[in-house]
Amino acid sequence: MTLFYDIQSLFIRAFTKIIRNPTLLFVNLFTPLLFLLLFSQLLQKLSVFLGPSGNYLTYLTPGILVLTVVTGAFQSGMAIVNDLNSGFLSKVLLTPSSRAAILLGRLATDLLVLIMQSAIIIGLALLLGLRIVTGVGGLLLIFVTLAFFGLAWSGLLLAVGLKTRKAETVSAVGNLLVFPLLFVSSALFPVSIMPAWARTVSDYNPLSYVSNVTRGLVQGGLSWSTFGYAYAVIGLMAILTFGATLYQFRKVVT
Amino acid sequence: MTQIIKVQNLIQVYPDGTKAVDGISFDVKEGEFFGFLGPNGAGKSTTIKVLTTLLRKSSGNAQVAGYDLDQSPKEIRKVIGVLSQETIVDVDLTGRENLRLQGRLEQMHGSTLENRVKELLTMVQLEEFADKPAGRYSGGMKKRLDLASALIHKPKLLFLDEPTTGLDPQSRGTIWDYLDQLNRDEGITIFLTTQYLEEADRLCRQLAIIDHGKIIAKGSPSELKQAIGHDSITLSFKNPKDPALRSETKRVLQGVPGVADVTDSDVGIVVHAKNANEIIADIVTALDRNNMRPTSLNMSSPTLDDVFLHHTGRRIRPEELGRKTTEAFLM
Repeated sequence: MTLFYDIQSLFIRAFTKIIRNPTLLFVNLFTPLLFLLLFSQLLQKLSVFLGPSGNYLTYLTPGILVLTVVTGAFQSGMAIVNDLNSGFLSKVLLTPSSRAAILLGRLATDLLVLIMQSAIIIGLALLLGLRIVTGVGGLLLIFVTLAFFGLAWSGLLLAVGLKTRKAETVSAVGNLLVFPLLFVSSALFPVSIMPAWARTVSDYNPLSYVSNVTRGLVQGGLSWSTFGYAYAVIGLMAILTFGATLYQFRKVVT
Repeated sequence: MTQIIKVQNLIQVYPDGTKAVDGISFDVKEGEFFGFLGPNGAGKSTTIKVLTTLLRKSSGNAQVAGYDLDQSPKEIRKVIGVLSQETIVDVDLTGRENLRLQGRLEQMHGSTLENRVKELLTMVQLEEFADKPAGRYSGGMKKRLDLASALIHKPKLLFLDEPTTGLDPQSRGTIWDYLDQLNRDEGITIFLTTQYLEEADRLCRQLAIIDHGKIIAKGSPSELKQAIGHDSITLSFKNPKDPALRSETKRVLQGVPGVADVTDSDVGIVVHAKNANEIIADIVTALDRNNMRPTSLNMSSPTLDDVFLHHTGRRIRPEELGRKTTEAFLM
């Protein structure tokens, strides 16, 4: 089938580029790795706010995974800007290949990068003493959740990239959103230590939903409602971001 | 011969109101080497973008390879090859990988594709560098790779948007040779845009001169040149100020068969004739018979620049060489 063949072609190309420039993969991982190492050591005492058997590393790791996913998606938005501005996208559009493959090939590559980066973070967390009580099944579900969220988030940066055609804008918009959203959510710090207004923000913050469900998958005791809410929030996000991406993409293709 | 491109009253207006193409009509025959000559901003690239399905036309009719532009863009994409003005190669991929990717996007598979890749690498003389990243190629090599990728699926119609802008003279010559060969030996129809007179003159058998979105003249380069006037032969003499000698010389020259007109100029006397080559010997003999010895003799034919000047009142000023090639950056 031509759609699948085209996705494969563009995936091979994008993945080859990543292999030839592995630095990029690690530059994106730098902040998450730094936060994981620093916070898990410096803020160990936060464990006391996490109940009798609370462990801050267990609390922190899911948040770091969310951070990894959101910063990793910058790359996706910037890559589409480069392809637009270098003319590569026009060159693809001049062939009879499937238009949808341009976005799907990009997302397939993002997924692979996301899984590789998350695996590195989980690996490091395991070395620091993390235990994933839900086992292999839980680990798989963690990846599925992160992937779903990662795609929904990528959609946002793809839309910004297609709209502005500027890599700087993609990373500026990304950074502008990521850190406020991240710090005022349940991702890195227990909400119980936050002031009331921050707790309110956190309650509506999509990053909290994703962090909570991932956390439940790491330490067990995940309720169906947490799971359901998180997936509903991610699904809603995906609809909005991909609506925007498709709208912008249609202006690019004829 | 059939028409491979048919364009009637094509208009392209950009969202900001700019009328980039303003009602052009032209046909290109199958097997033709057709050129669009015009300065920057004349509407050349826009026309190519419309004809190659990258841009939706505002109005008018256009058929490419027998397919309607609006109705069957995908059919058109299958049979055309396009070389954009910017050199578009992925600098992280090797030459071979670039060609392979292009071939896959053209829906080619397996050994057919691999063989074609090898064939093209040989043709553009890049076999030796085939497995090196294209980022290490020179500008000329990148352009050759880009040309090869436009040819991967053996298109019957090739669009070239200013294919040699920004190239050094040697690379330009190489590209010219390839294009000549593709058109002559493989019968590929070529539609080329250029702002270089020399390029239009040397390569194109049919030309349309375009300015401000309008076609101002059409024809073969020699037809266009002949249409605006005659060849001229400028003669200088030792005593240019001597009025008696001058009028006597003019009288002699006017008597030579084939001379259309004789006029004065700052440097001497100008003879106008339809075909200067054919009467130059007669002119020299006539002068010699009357003991008139010119100190210099200069023959010139109208150039395409004169053609452009004649129709627009301006000269074409090509953008300076050395424009940067845009490259695909890492993802």
